[in-house]
Amino acid sequence: MATTALAVSAPTRRAGVRRFLRRFTLSARVAAVVLLLYGLIALTGPLWAPYSPFATGSVPFGGGSWTHLFGTDILGRDVFSRVVYGTRNVLYLSLTSTLLALLVGGAIGLASGLVGGWVDELLMRAFETIISIPLLVLALLAIAAAGPKLAGSSLLLILVVLLVYAPRIARMARTVAVDLVTRDYVTVARARGESVASIVWRELTPNAAGVLLVEFGVRAGYAPILISSLGFLGFGAQPPSPEWGLMISENRVAIVTAPLSVLAPAGALAVLVISLNLVTDGVARVLGRSVTRTP
Amino acid sequence: MNAAAARAAADPALVEVDGLTIDFWSNERWANVVNSVTFSLGRGEALGLVGESGCGKTTTALALLGFQRPGSRIRAGAIRFAGRDVARLSRRELQKLRGRRASLVPQNPATALSPGMRIGAQLIETMAVHRVGGSHRERERRALGLISQVRLPDPQRTAAKYPHQLSGGQQQRVVIAMALACDPELVVLDEPTTGLDVTTQAQILDLLRRLRDEVGMAMVYVTHNLGVVASICDRIGVMYAGDLVEDAPVAELFQAPRHPYTRGLIAAVPTIAAPHRNRAVTLRGLLRRDQLPPGCRFAPRCDFAEAACFEEPQTLLPVAERHAVACRRVDEIDRLAAGGDTADGAAPLRPAVAGDGLLDVIDLAVTYDRRARLSLARRPPTAIVRDITFDVRPRETFSLVGESGSGKSTIARTVGGLLRPLAGQLTFEGRDIAATVDSRSKKLRREIQLVLQNPDASLNPRQRVQEIVGRPLELFFGLRGKARRAEIEKLLEDVRLEGAFAGRYPDELSGGERQRVAIARALAARPKLMLCDEILSALDVSVQSDIVELLLALQDEHGLAYLFISHDLAVVRALSHRVGVLYLGELCEVGTAEQVYAPPYHPYTHMLLSAVPEIEGETVLSPAIRTDPGVASSRPQSACPFADRCPWKVGPVCDEIAPPWREAGGGHVLRCHLPLDELMRRAEDSALGVGAVEAVGADPSP
Amino acid sequence: MILRLIAQRLAAAVATLLVVSALVFFFTSVLPGDIAERVLGHESTAQQRELFRERMHLDRPVYDRYASWVGGVFRGDFGRSLVSDETVTSTIASSARNTLFLSLFAFALYLPVTLVLATLGALFRGKPIDSLISVITLVGLSIPDFVLGTLLIFGFAVKLSLAPALSIVNPGDGFFTRLHETVLPAVTLMVAMAVYAIRMLRDNLIDVLDSEYVRMATLKGVPRWRVVFRHALPNAIGPALNVTALNLTYLIGGVVVVETVFSYPGLGKMLVDSISVRDVPVVEAAALLASGVYILANLAADVLAMLANPRLRTT
Repeated sequence: MATTALAVSAPTRRAGVRRFLRRFTLSARVAAVVLLLYGLIALTGPLWAPYSPFATGSVPFGGGSWTHLFGTDILGRDVFSRVVYGTRNVLYLSLTSTLLALLVGGAIGLASGLVGGWVDELLMRAFETIISIPLLVLALLAIAAAGPKLAGSSLLLILVVLLVYAPRIARMARTVAVDLVTRDYVTVARARGESVASIVWRELTPNAAGVLLVEFGVRAGYAPILISSLGFLGFGAQPPSPEWGLMISENRVAIVTAPLSVLAPAGALAVLVISLNLVTDGVARVLGRSVTRTP
Repeated sequence: MNAAAARAAADPALVEVDGLTIDFWSNERWANVVNSVTFSLGRGEALGLVGESGCGKTTTALALLGFQRPGSRIRAGAIRFAGRDVARLSRRELQKLRGRRASLVPQNPATALSPGMRIGAQLIETMAVHRVGGSHRERERRALGLISQVRLPDPQRTAAKYPHQLSGGQQQRVVIAMALACDPELVVLDEPTTGLDVTTQAQILDLLRRLRDEVGMAMVYVTHNLGVVASICDRIGVMYAGDLVEDAPVAELFQAPRHPYTRGLIAAVPTIAAPHRNRAVTLRGLLRRDQLPPGCRFAPRCDFAEAACFEEPQTLLPVAERHAVACRRVDEIDRLAAGGDTADGAAPLRPAVAGDGLLDVIDLAVTYDRRARLSLARRPPTAIVRDITFDVRPRETFSLVGESGSGKSTIARTVGGLLRPLAGQLTFEGRDIAATVDSRSKKLRREIQLVLQNPDASLNPRQRVQEIVGRPLELFFGLRGKARRAEIEKLLEDVRLEGAFAGRYPDELSGGERQRVAIARALAARPKLMLCDEILSALDVSVQSDIVELLLALQDEHGLAYLFISHDLAVVRALSHRVGVLYLGELCEVGTAEQVYAPPYHPYTHMLLSAVPEIEGETVLSPAIRTDPGVASSRPQSACPFADRCPWKVGPVCDEIAPPWREAGGGHVLRCHLPLDELMRRAEDSALGVGAVEAVGADPSP
Repeated sequence: MILRLIAQRLAAAVATLLVVSALVFFFTSVLPGDIAERVLGHESTAQQRELFRERMHLDRPVYDRYASWVGGVFRGDFGRSLVSDETVTSTIASSARNTLFLSLFAFALYLPVTLVLATLGALFRGKPIDSLISVITLVGLSIPDFVLGTLLIFGFAVKLSLAPALSIVNPGDGFFTRLHETVLPAVTLMVAMAVYAIRMLRDNLIDVLDSEYVRMATLKGVPRWRVVFRHALPNAIGPALNVTALNLTYLIGGVVVVETVFSYPGLGKMLVDSISVRDVPVVEAAALLASGVYILANLAADVLAMLANPRLRTT
């Protein structure tokens, strides 16, 4: 039987940017502003932060005051400045690694789903096996394997997140591709003799973009947690780096006497992740998709 | 049927729908879906609600059960069931009504049945929640009785099965049984046979007719298929864009349709008896929802519309006994139309094209069994299609007809290079061609083009029309820039679309427009052969006839050959030069359209033709209809595939030996153990009137 | 028919576990370059390193070492710890028991919370209760488990003194004492899993509630409570199992972090400690165990889902 019961005229694309923006919920808009703020802090922080993140002059575990807004930490460093400097770390690492994982995993997943056959089987089994190792355990193994010399380096952390995320994103992309491949326009393109790359680029990617964008948002939202967890355990950024997870680990002995030294980085982390998640939810809603937070 | 209708005329109405108006919330505003619909239904009466997609028939029918889709509202009007307004019932009262006094047979039986409950339990549940039947034992008995009543075999075993263990036709019977479980006064059927094969559909319709005779319940039957409604209903309500435009008894509606839309709709339905109907009465234009006038919604497409028609909303006015039409010019139209209704519209059937084949398919066999192709299998692979031999000549339309599982799409895809054949040969213009697309030359890929079924999925939703149509131009001819744009415009013109369409996205186009773009895309490669795989199945009837016209015109203008795949016998007859009939992967009969649709018939062809519900005439079903189709793998490979269902079966020879090809002259061949004169005699005995050559000239509309 | 499917899944799980073991071995024993130097440190002498290499059989080829390791695993022999020189098995045994206790405790808390909240969210979708649950879970999954654990310590242990700040269990402790000592980490783990599971399960339940056969049952006149219990819930078991199995990855990962936060002597803390001191055999064993549990749990969930699906139970 013919298609939709209600063949209303499609929302025209000439509707304008303003109307498009209005389709976002209030929470998504506020969260987006918060993210922009974080970005701004990351970019300009060093210009206006009151202290160097490594300066140990003051009394350790001093409370909040006019000279030290968030107090001082275990070594007498200014917590506020450290939180500010830590912002650029976490944003840079999270976004870069997730983006790389999206590009690599997405391309492989789409191509694998299109090609099918034994190549697809092999790739997917390989990815499933990597995914069978719980997230954090795999990250720790990879860090352990890298050896002490690379400890704390940004490159290592990016590669670790890439290793953990790429198979998951590839699996998602492959699922989308397998579904898209059944569409007639892909069949027709195949019958024309188009190459795999051409089909992936022209036919699949534009139609998978929505799903992949949401997937990117979900992964980007968890990345700061993963990175700071590693920092907390001592396997991420190394002291004296102003990494939030590390800060929480260092200062939690004095959580009673100087709670701000723990709560400040914790709060910054939580607000960042909440904002990322809200923006992801908002974008998904506008695109008309659901958000699945599969581990 | 007539007795029930007569009874209904005397009784007070069971259902009264009065000015029903329903809106849906969509794109941030309320869009009207049902517009002030008024009709009534007597006890035991069967009303058909027909119309094309989006006309509001399903919404109206479901509203009778108090069903409101989330995001919809009843803006005005009332639906009275036995005197009480359904929309105002409390949830408890509604629950007591549904299933007990009014029940539903939904469109898709597979999804309607609970996957985790056995059939018997689901039937018993219906009775239990309405306290029908007294005790559990009594209900069990009744459930078994219902299963027999819907002609399902072995009630005990069937009751113990889960839904997924039944076929589509069987599931639909179960759903019907569920709807009848509590002896309802009204049964609403929402397109219950859509998605079923023609023969399965015939079985279900046959069952419904019998049940009506036995039980006498009132029915509201929603469908887009006029033939179906003709065979089962007393009255028909025709809906267009939310309006009820005509309400008349069945016979009268088909013999003397009064509303311009009804006339156009009936004229657009292809029938086997008269494949080329009167082209003077056609539905032009398209339904544009955003451009509906405040008055008569059909006015923009109406040949008889005046200025006042656009302004004044039309109401149903009686024009004859029990016949009402919503048109202010209904009396004048009779006079005006009489002049144009000449019987010369019927074009002759298309003769066979002479000459050598463009495409030769020889002994083709295809399988989906991947392991077999790696030749690691211990047993021979089960072929989906085998022994397929036919040819398509230049500028000719060769159609493959068959039901689901016949393998017709498989053959099309193999010719298109998407499937590797297990055996056999494909030749194009005299030269052997490679099996898969990758090994074919660019020229060949260009010369054979594919147009597929689903208008939703045949175009990339993220590409504009100009990219979709332009890609083959770029790929095959290296056209860019201005030359490309010019060619795109020309192609759009060829498929009768305005140039402005080039910048649009598929979701801005209707189903018919999308199919035209798909055809333009295929045309862009300047092919010699177009493979059309069920390209009309998902379109409305009026749109189908437009596309058929387009295909015929393009064949003339561009010298195309078509390999046309379809299950719709009437469309195939209108379009084809020659036809091949497929059953379970084997060819039964091949010949010109005229030859195949006239006796002598292959027994399967005979059954197929008898199963098609036609607008006029009584349907006389072949007894084979009562049987269920088998599965390709379950019979020995050498025998006749139709043997276990054939009403004219000779004997064990049909099960063991492959039937021989018999020549009936003029290129008409069919495979059967029965000799031709015997087949001829059987066909004449069965009084199957369709397809007889004499029927062509007689145009049914007065 | 279903037995064949189950056997296939079992075989697949075993194969996956084998490949995972190879991966783990690769990461711990193959990649790190000069293990001797790494383990013994820069100050070690060449002689010490030579002795070490001999003891670890590092002169043998890779596949040989792998084969003997896997062979040992089958016999239950994970080698000896480089730090304490006791068998890995004995070192791990008590930690494994502790982690098991903690995980089961967390799981026992997780089940009712998730089922109830997800069902409420699905049945009352769009209403305030659903929005509230949605907000709480979103905040919950945005807070890392180590932060949550630290906050719980701050709130309940320090300020309110309701529970111990460090969850150091002693072997002799009674059952209820243990419960009291592990309540905070268990709650933290429960939250780590539940926030994801509640959302996923709610979505799955909504899918079932929106399905055609549920709509049909309503149109048949079946009362709402019966529609939910007889038609919807049975078909939600499969998805629920699936959701739980998937979210176990958060439990396992959470165990590592949470045990560190609370200084709980479990497998997670052991993994972290052994990585720090580069006690390779212990790392291998712990990582393999963690993956094995995950794979096994997923297998169990798959098989149970298969059994619950009538389409697969019958032909």
